Amino acid sequence: MLSCRSYQMPKSLAEALALWRGAPEGSRLIAGATDILPWAREGRAGDVEIDTLIDLSRVAELSGYQQKDGRIRLGANVVWQDFLTDPVLARSLPCMPFCSVWFADDQIRQQATLAGNLVNASPAADGTPPVIALNGDIEIARLDGDTVVTRTMPVADFISGPGRTDLKPGEIVVAVTVDALPGYGGSYQKVGQRRSLVISSVCCAAVVKTDPSGKVFEDVRLALGGVGPKPMRLTETEAMLRGKAISADLIERASAGPVDLVASRTRVDYRRTVVRGFVRAAVEDALAHAAQSAQSEEKETANA
Amino acid sequence: MPELELNFEVNGRTVAKRINPGLRLLDVLRDDLNMTGTKEGCGAGECGTCSVFVDGKLVKSCLMPAAKAEGTRIETVEGLARPGDLTVIQRAFYKTGASQCGYCIPGMVMAATSALRDNPDAGHEEIKERMGGNICRCTGYTKIIEAVELARDVIAGRMSPAALEADAVGESYIGNSVRRIDAPAKVAGRLKYAGDMIMPDMLHMAVLRSPHPHAEIVSMDTSAARAMPGVECVITSEDVPGVDGFGVFVHDQPIMARGKVRYVGEAVAAVAATDERSARRALAGIKVTYRELPGLFDAADALAPGAPVLHDYAPDNIVKHIPLRKGNIEAGFAAADLILEENFSTQQVEHAYLEPEAGIAYVDHDDVVTVISPSQNITHHRHMLAAIIDRPIQKVRFIMSPVGGGFGGKEDMIYQGMLALAAMQTHKPVRIVFTREESIVSTAKRHPSRSKVRMGLTRAGRITAMEFDMLSDGGAYGMSSEGVMRKAAILSCGPYEIDNLKVDTTVVYTNNTPSGAFRSFGGMQVQFATESMVDMAAEKLGLDPFEIRRRNMMKPGSLTHTQQKLGTASLGMVLDAAEKGSRWEAGAPTVRGATRGDTHGAGTREPCKLGERFAAGPETKERVA
Amino acid sequence: MERTVRGRGVAASWYGIARTATIDRAGAWAELDDGGTAKVVTGVTEIGEGILTLLAQVAAEELGIRPEQVTLGDNDTARSPEAAHAGATRQTYMVGNSIALACREAREKLFAEIAEYWDVEATLLHAFDGILHAEGTNKSMTMAEAVAICKGRGVVPVGSGSFTAHGTGLDPVDGSGAPWQVYVFGTQVAEVEVDTVTGEVQVLGIWAAHDVGRAINPRGIEGQIEGAIVQGLGQALMEDYQTVEGHTTTHGFAKYILPTALDVPEITSFLVEDRDPLSPLGAKGIGEPALVPTAPAIMNAIYDAIGVRITSLPATPEKILQGLKEKRRRNEGIAAE
Repeated sequence: MLSCRSYQMPKSLAEALALWRGAPEGSRLIAGATDILPWAREGRAGDVEIDTLIDLSRVAELSGYQQKDGRIRLGANVVWQDFLTDPVLARSLPCMPFCSVWFADDQIRQQATLAGNLVNASPAADGTPPVIALNGDIEIARLDGDTVVTRTMPVADFISGPGRTDLKPGEIVVAVTVDALPGYGGSYQKVGQRRSLVISSVCCAAVVKTDPSGKVFEDVRLALGGVGPKPMRLTETEAMLRGKAISADLIERASAGPVDLVASRTRVDYRRTVVRGFVRAAVEDALAHAAQSAQSEEKETANA
Repeated sequence: MPELELNFEVNGRTVAKRINPGLRLLDVLRDDLNMTGTKEGCGAGECGTCSVFVDGKLVKSCLMPAAKAEGTRIETVEGLARPGDLTVIQRAFYKTGASQCGYCIPGMVMAATSALRDNPDAGHEEIKERMGGNICRCTGYTKIIEAVELARDVIAGRMSPAALEADAVGESYIGNSVRRIDAPAKVAGRLKYAGDMIMPDMLHMAVLRSPHPHAEIVSMDTSAARAMPGVECVITSEDVPGVDGFGVFVHDQPIMARGKVRYVGEAVAAVAATDERSARRALAGIKVTYRELPGLFDAADALAPGAPVLHDYAPDNIVKHIPLRKGNIEAGFAAADLILEENFSTQQVEHAYLEPEAGIAYVDHDDVVTVISPSQNITHHRHMLAAIIDRPIQKVRFIMSPVGGGFGGKEDMIYQGMLALAAMQTHKPVRIVFTREESIVSTAKRHPSRSKVRMGLTRAGRITAMEFDMLSDGGAYGMSSEGVMRKAAILSCGPYEIDNLKVDTTVVYTNNTPSGAFRSFGGMQVQFATESMVDMAAEKLGLDPFEIRRRNMMKPGSLTHTQQKLGTASLGMVLDAAEKGSRWEAGAPTVRGATRGDTHGAGTREPCKLGERFAAGPETKERVA
Repeated sequence: MERTVRGRGVAASWYGIARTATIDRAGAWAELDDGGTAKVVTGVTEIGEGILTLLAQVAAEELGIRPEQVTLGDNDTARSPEAAHAGATRQTYMVGNSIALACREAREKLFAEIAEYWDVEATLLHAFDGILHAEGTNKSMTMAEAVAICKGRGVVPVGSGSFTAHGTGLDPVDGSGAPWQVYVFGTQVAEVEVDTVTGEVQVLGIWAAHDVGRAINPRGIEGQIEGAIVQGLGQALMEDYQTVEGHTTTHGFAKYILPTALDVPEITSFLVEDRDPLSPLGAKGIGEPALVPTAPAIMNAIYDAIGVRITSLPATPEKILQGLKEKRRRNEGIAAE
């Protein structure tokens, strides 16, 4: 059961940062709040008494997204459902819709934010592999005197281990910026104990672009989750595929490599077997989507 | 207590409340506004019994801090139709029999409403996916999805509203799928389960539970808890006036731990206070000193010489052993051409009814100690409680509140005794509502089992002998263990006439969560093993699985494993129906799945691929206005 | 090998109705009431299976009125006769039959009065759906009128019923005995698809044939079968309550995994009616027995698909992949020899 002395809903970033800086020890930031309430229960944290809960969901600066220079800056309040229902996001971030349907059910997707998923830094987080595949950077704000200052770092560095991040006292995550990859095909593979609303045992995100002929890998991005203390980008596998002619044999050989990266403490054998199959399936699935995506881009160009 | 000013709209009504800032939207709806159609099933966003619309979007209200509701428009199940009326979706649930216990149903109705509001043309797969965040434990979802599709078609005008009406009756009400008489209240969220009930001056109970699997209670001091604000009583086993002990077969479990705890989660003491938070807070004021004892965590260890003893009356830790002997087992195996031997095991399973345990007790004007709870056995509970509280039986009354799923899990009198004691001490109504975690940790499970099975058969596939040895972990208390072993033994060797048998089922005490009654009561554990083995034998003998079963099946006049002569037996009829109905392609079970011709046909669904509705390409994605 | 493979399996089952290895009993009271309605009272009630509706149907049928005209009083040890417990697949059999008996007695009281009033043999009277008539005559009236006439003659048409099922205990040495007076049998076929990359099993179809004696409410029975199958599927594939040194590691539904709508197969039920000759209604029961064959049918189907025999439930993705690996190793071993 969660108790708090005070619940604050700041409207601006400056207000939020000021509240956060002044908040007593044991205060917490929340946005979607879908993790904190289940956390404050028996078997996890138990009954928790928090001084101040600072709810960021109404901070104007954190909502919406902007496109710039081939990147998309996602405000920290962007919720998971947006990746499915916003046509620009769905088109530009081709692995995110697939990740989003696996992330949780329709209802939780309405409340939960991508930024929150990253900040929790769970080794099984669904959101980190696709963001890493999209070269995601995280933007963090703090107050310097009365001035809001921000810093930016790659998500891959921001997450330092299970539940650990580079977030420092007084700081608030304000945005996640990722590559916009229209024309790419995306994929997200996940296995848990069932298909809806479940924790990942292994997950794998992929985005793939082919040359106009569809026969050569122009770009491949792959990332794994659930197989170690933090998500990992498969740079070696990507290098094996990038610029090469697409063949089942090549994909098969490339998918053997990441098996050795599995560094989980449990179910290692299982995860290794799945990883190999998942890398292959993710590349193949993303290729199929890339073909569809190329078609629809063409149509769009023709219509324009 | 800190307060937060909250203004929002619920079902078209403006609400202004001062609330505790730590509350969830669910708490405000249920406790402050007494709108109990929205249920709490898990408190962790996993089950969807609490789904409500917030500004038109369906969310789980247990995951939403109430403060977030400021300025929003909330719609709950009570607001879907005018009082006394039902929406098309609700009427479709009524028509198809989509509600059973009903506890998940308000949430299901909300999820269905959301699905059809978002996409009035949603197909079968999309409906299932949109409702994937709501759990139902009774219906198997089939009639729920059928209801949503029926409602969709009626709303779209593809079907007549008459499809929602009762089926015509012919010459008899027997055989007529009469619509459930309790459905209208369930689909509208009007039915009050025990946890929805309130009484004037009602107190709230919280329970202190054992953190140890096996320990002696050296001392207990409740004085600090008693002195805390809001606390009206603290009860322990000291307060039991009569003979303390309950259980379905052996009364080995005290109302609260007496001198010793035997499993993690066992009740040790209980507090009744003016509000739930005060009751929970007071638990921290109860000081218990434990001396930990060596524990038993595996059924086999419980039988080892020198194992710790859990209950003095059972120095061998055996709760019950049931033997069956029929014919001559050695001769039976000697006559076999094929002998198979295999070990099988089944896990401990949680009932997971969506309604966590809840109840209210009070002492009425005639001094009758009354307990209202979703008890599956009010008759036996009355007997036991009368002895425990030392009252004449007519001064003890049990009322069974609507049961939000039982499956055997609500046969044990696990909390009713505490409620009665607190009501007797305070002469006020006392209510308890378990959290999901409390329900999982403290109540009985399906018995986990390990079976060693030997089966002898002739070349023609006749079973000549069977030896079945099952060991079960009963956990800390007896509960229904004895009966489960008995039923397991009787049913063990399956619906087959077997002349030579040796069956032993044994259940032991351990310091694990107790095992008890659960739908099939031992029947599934044993028949999982036997039915697996029959198929293994069929493969070895090159027989079709239906054929081998027919060659051994019980018929009218057969002698069962307990040597009872059967008057009737219908296995042949059901084998025929299943074989024909499934278009079964005959053949021995030799891993022929990839080549058989009867798969992928009528009666199967498509494999689930998540997100199919979004896969058509980004430009068609935007369905939601 | 294709990534996914299908397979089919079958399992049969049997089950006993009502309490095991003991005598079982249940009681009920009935009263034909004003307006041709009825009050029926019994000591046990709905746990979600639909028993109240079924009891209303039985009462309506026996009394010649409509189910919605039956008011059920139930669930109170101080206000209703003992009907013991809600479990053991006993409510249709025990409570259903006791209510049938109680209603018959109430009906006979009414029929005796009306037979005298009409001056016909009581055996000629027949009531259905609110209308009472005497066969072979043109005499007919509503049940509302019949109750008014009966009461006008000074008789309140009430009845009570007690139904007994004669189970006997088991011999302590050889276990011999007659634990139930009636048994049911069932058979289920499962079709599964196994994903050889992840080890996931999806159950795509179940065909379930169950003897219910007599189907009083077919849709309700289907609901029981469907619910039982999905519980059986949960136990077969995903549910697993776990403890470490007595401490649970599956505290809530995030860890204790239950089937959702996305996990359920299409279910086709076949209701077989082999009437019970020992009871007034001829119906048996369905609550528990429908769960029994599901898990072994699924395990047999998994074997049919991939040749892996799962002997330890649940058949998690991990166990499936482990089994495939062992099978490959065995096959390679055989090839090497």
